[in-house]
Amino acid sequence: MKVTNYIRLSDFCQGHALEESFLYELHEVGLIVIVEVEQQPVLQTAELDRVERLVRLHRDLEIGPQGLLAVDHLLSRMEQLREEVLELRRRLNRWE
Amino acid sequence: MDFIDYYKVLGISEKASEKEIKSAYRKLARKYHPDLNPGDTEAESKFKQINEAHEVLSDPEKRKKYDQYGKDWQHAEEFEKARAQQQQAGGYGQYTYSSGSESDFSDFFESMFGGFGRGRGRSSRGYKGQDYNASLELDLREAYKTHKRTLTVGDRNIRITIPAGIEDGQSIRIKGYGGPGINQGPKGDLYLTFHLRNTTGFRRKGSDLYKTVDLPLTTAVLGGDLTVDTFDGKARLKVKPCTQNNTRVKLKGKGFPVYRKDGVFGDLFITYQVVLPKNLTPEQKKLFESLKATNL
Repeated sequence: MKVTNYIRLSDFCQGHALEESFLYELHEVGLIVIVEVEQQPVLQTAELDRVERLVRLHRDLEIGPQGLLAVDHLLSRMEQLREEVLELRRRLNRWE
Repeated sequence: MDFIDYYKVLGISEKASEKEIKSAYRKLARKYHPDLNPGDTEAESKFKQINEAHEVLSDPEKRKKYDQYGKDWQHAEEFEKARAQQQQAGGYGQYTYSSGSESDFSDFFESMFGGFGRGRGRSSRGYKGQDYNASLELDLREAYKTHKRTLTVGDRNIRITIPAGIEDGQSIRIKGYGGPGINQGPKGDLYLTFHLRNTTGFRRKGSDLYKTVDLPLTTAVLGGDLTVDTFDGKARLKVKPCTQNNTRVKLKGKGFPVYRKDGVFGDLFITYQVVLPKNLTPEQKKLFESLKATNL
């Protein structure tokens, strides 16, 4: 197990004072992926930013897993649209 | 340093109830939350103001102080100094610590509430209590199904749910069942480690199960049906003709439950061990000799 690639679920939860069951709920609705490495449930570090964002939204706005699913989808869509706008602006600048 | 009207920030009156404060905060927090407004520094700064206003107005003690000294916050500093002196005279010093990172609070807030005002996990004077470790022995059959169990730890009874598919040596954390916190800090946690006893005749590897079963010689040669035990019942297998010794077959989904995945099971692997006869009747011996004559 490469230390830099994974973080143990228990360590993440302890660091964020979070119940592991909440992360399993996120896993069940397909928002995050919990995998097992050496018989330990872990999160991939590449996913940490997203997981932390979901935890913040859950804490600050009291949004449950289903609400987070909708928020996450809309944020991804927004990011996609933002990139499209930037690309279109770049193309437009070439014509102007 | 400018005075900040927290009531204005949340768009509520000075007589607003706790419910109205919470509702106004929620509404604005949803609108300006930095994760919902990525890259928008204005929203981020607005969110900080809203948080600060909520931090003060949702706490009766802070709200009282803010209402009392709000516009004349300089007096609040004097008030705090006097309070600190009183506490030192009583022999109990207070201290705070800082994470060293840039503060999320305005100068106004820091000046008015300083080390006394912060709360909700931003800083703490207490320490978490000691974590306890305990172990629990379970039969493999018990680990097959999600079940509840009542344990006594110290003098407290805890009812826990043990999810199906728990592994031998696996630990779960039960928050708040450890040692008492220091200086009003949170209680420690209890780490419960499971030790599984296996007297079932099945070998477990993760969520897969393995079992070796006897296969009569004639069934191995001619093929036929064979009934085998699975973990939760029996299964009937079709044995192909000329099945070799140590052939392994897979029964999909007949293994052990996958931890925390309801309704998902591993596989059961059955290894056939062909049983050779130890004694033959004269008739059987004759038949084998006939077979030998065919160069089998």
